[in-house]
Amino acid sequence: MRLDNLKSSKYSNMRSSVVNSFFALVFSLVLGAVFIWVTGYSPFETYKAIFGLSFSTIKGFALTLSQATPLMFTGIAFALAYKVKMINTGAEGQLYAGAMAAALVGAYVTNLPGIVHIPLALLVAFIAGGIIAGLVAIARVYTGASEIILTLMLNNVIILFTSYLANGPLKPEGSGVGQTERIADSARLMRLVPQTQLTIALLIVIAVAIIIQFMLDRTVFGYELKVTGNNRRAAEVAGINVSKISILTFALSGAIAGMGGAAMVLGVNYRFIEGFSSGYGFAGISIAALAAYSPFGVIPAAFLIGILRAGTITLSRTTSIPIEFVDVIQVLVIIFVAAPTMIRQILNIFKRITGKKKKNEIAGGEVQ
Amino acid sequence: MIDFDTGLVISILASTLRRTVPLLLAATGGAFSMRSGVIDLGLEGMMLAGSFFSVMGAWMTGSPWMGLLFGVVFGIVFSMLHAVMHINYKVNGSISGMAVNLLAAAMTPLLLTIVYGLSGKSEIVTSFSNFDPDWLMGIPFLGPILGSQNVIFFIAMALVIISWIFMFKTTLGLRMRMVGENPHAASAVGLNVKAYKYFGVAMSGALAGLGGAYLSLGQMGMFVKDMTAGRGYIAVVINAFGRYNPFGALAGSAFFGFFDALQTIFQSVFPSQLVMMTPYVVTILVIVFGLKGGRSPAGTGKHVEE
Repeated sequence: MRLDNLKSSKYSNMRSSVVNSFFALVFSLVLGAVFIWVTGYSPFETYKAIFGLSFSTIKGFALTLSQATPLMFTGIAFALAYKVKMINTGAEGQLYAGAMAAALVGAYVTNLPGIVHIPLALLVAFIAGGIIAGLVAIARVYTGASEIILTLMLNNVIILFTSYLANGPLKPEGSGVGQTERIADSARLMRLVPQTQLTIALLIVIAVAIIIQFMLDRTVFGYELKVTGNNRRAAEVAGINVSKISILTFALSGAIAGMGGAAMVLGVNYRFIEGFSSGYGFAGISIAALAAYSPFGVIPAAFLIGILRAGTITLSRTTSIPIEFVDVIQVLVIIFVAAPTMIRQILNIFKRITGKKKKNEIAGGEVQ
Repeated sequence: MIDFDTGLVISILASTLRRTVPLLLAATGGAFSMRSGVIDLGLEGMMLAGSFFSVMGAWMTGSPWMGLLFGVVFGIVFSMLHAVMHINYKVNGSISGMAVNLLAAAMTPLLLTIVYGLSGKSEIVTSFSNFDPDWLMGIPFLGPILGSQNVIFFIAMALVIISWIFMFKTTLGLRMRMVGENPHAASAVGLNVKAYKYFGVAMSGALAGLGGAYLSLGQMGMFVKDMTAGRGYIAVVINAFGRYNPFGALAGSAFFGFFDALQTIFQSVFPSQLVMMTPYVVTILVIVFGLKGGRSPAGTGKHVEE
């Protein structure tokens, strides 16, 4: 009996967060329509074109998924850290660190078969992102320094430092832009759809999401992690090593973001290129919020944002609707998800308006 | 190599002051926010909004003073997002602050494309000239340093003094600090806790917006995408470093302004990316090793139920 209640409450929680996320996205798209309208296009036609792209051709669908892949990595990273109530705004920097690490392994460790080379590059990127985030978490736990400011400052440091490497010691001869040597063929990720950027990176990130979700739901570490996140003091009283859990979780979060960088290098660019990320790190915050901070929920959430990104990228070639439009939608999503009461209030206003209409109709009927 | 003579020292100090102003304005704004018990993590976005809209205001009206007003007003507008989310909807202040930062970072490039049809930077607008009357330039050493500042520098210095007097020498300031330290006690003696918090956040928006306007309108006469480059976050650290006191913010901003100014000199000697890392590295070192013993107002992030 009690178990039933527990299950149904878990189910209704999930349902309410799905409803919440749905309306958050809808309201954001409605507000986004204002920007489209200002640029002089029809919001309805534009949205039709954006959403149509992903579902009309296989290439469009593949573009959506390939746009969503790095967002899945950074989304899982943010969602995981948020489970211990820590905010990883450093996914952008961890992504660059992982990308540089994978680019080095891909280009300079050669004569390996692909089956070894790819996992090795991913592992090194995983470690690079993990060490950076781990150090931040150690500083957070032992000195009380804000992990938000630390990661944001580190983003700048890492982006500048990798840019120095790509423009200085690691720049291939004769290259005009800041980039590193091309990676070996054995380090390239296999394509899922020919002539697109969709690679097995998608399968890797789905596997990561499943593993993290399993870890949270079915392991002792995952249980201790959730208890720590819900109530730090209670966790301490229960004998959980809160510091250790926080540091490990945050490091794991950074490691996953690092793998996202590796996926970009091994699957899309085949080298580290300075400025390669178009805000993937910060998009992860939005996607995690849309997924109600569930690691597996990140996959469909990233797919939704991927539709918007892929559609807008294609549309921006022929119209003057800029790609930054999606960034604004993403932030609106964060705002609406963060304040569920705001969504309920807006819905209530709608209900009152439609309710009044119905009453008026009834009243009108009586007059006749 | 770099020759150290008086001319160089003067130019470093003048440049230090110019780089101090935006940090100082934002950090002083942050002091208002933190003293009223609301975390000041949205400074970066308020600054960025200020730097964009001040240029737009000057572009529309042709007057830099109107531009300055636009910067302040839109700094407040963006700060209200933080205030409404955090104070009314009880969203975690770090999340609502980041929402302001991300919104400004996303909206300014979008508006740049919509308004100017340009990506990356705006058109150049009329800016402020330096305040350099003959009597000032005649003073040895100090003259040329102060003479290479514009009017916003002097406004900023006055605002620091006024802010300090408000916070520590007036009843309203005392009440605002009480709300920040103990909102329940403040509410019990009949203070309108929400109103004080709104005031604190609005002041942080106004001052950060002015700081942003100094960066764009005051220095370059145009807006460049992401031109605040993390200065708002550095201001958050300066504010904690200066113990949420405007004069502390002045000392902290001068310290960071100095490191920022050194960049321009060392860029001729070292690779530019490595030199540009310095302010961020210094910030990280200060957060990890320099903030021990400091504490934020005890009521930060606490809400009062009516």
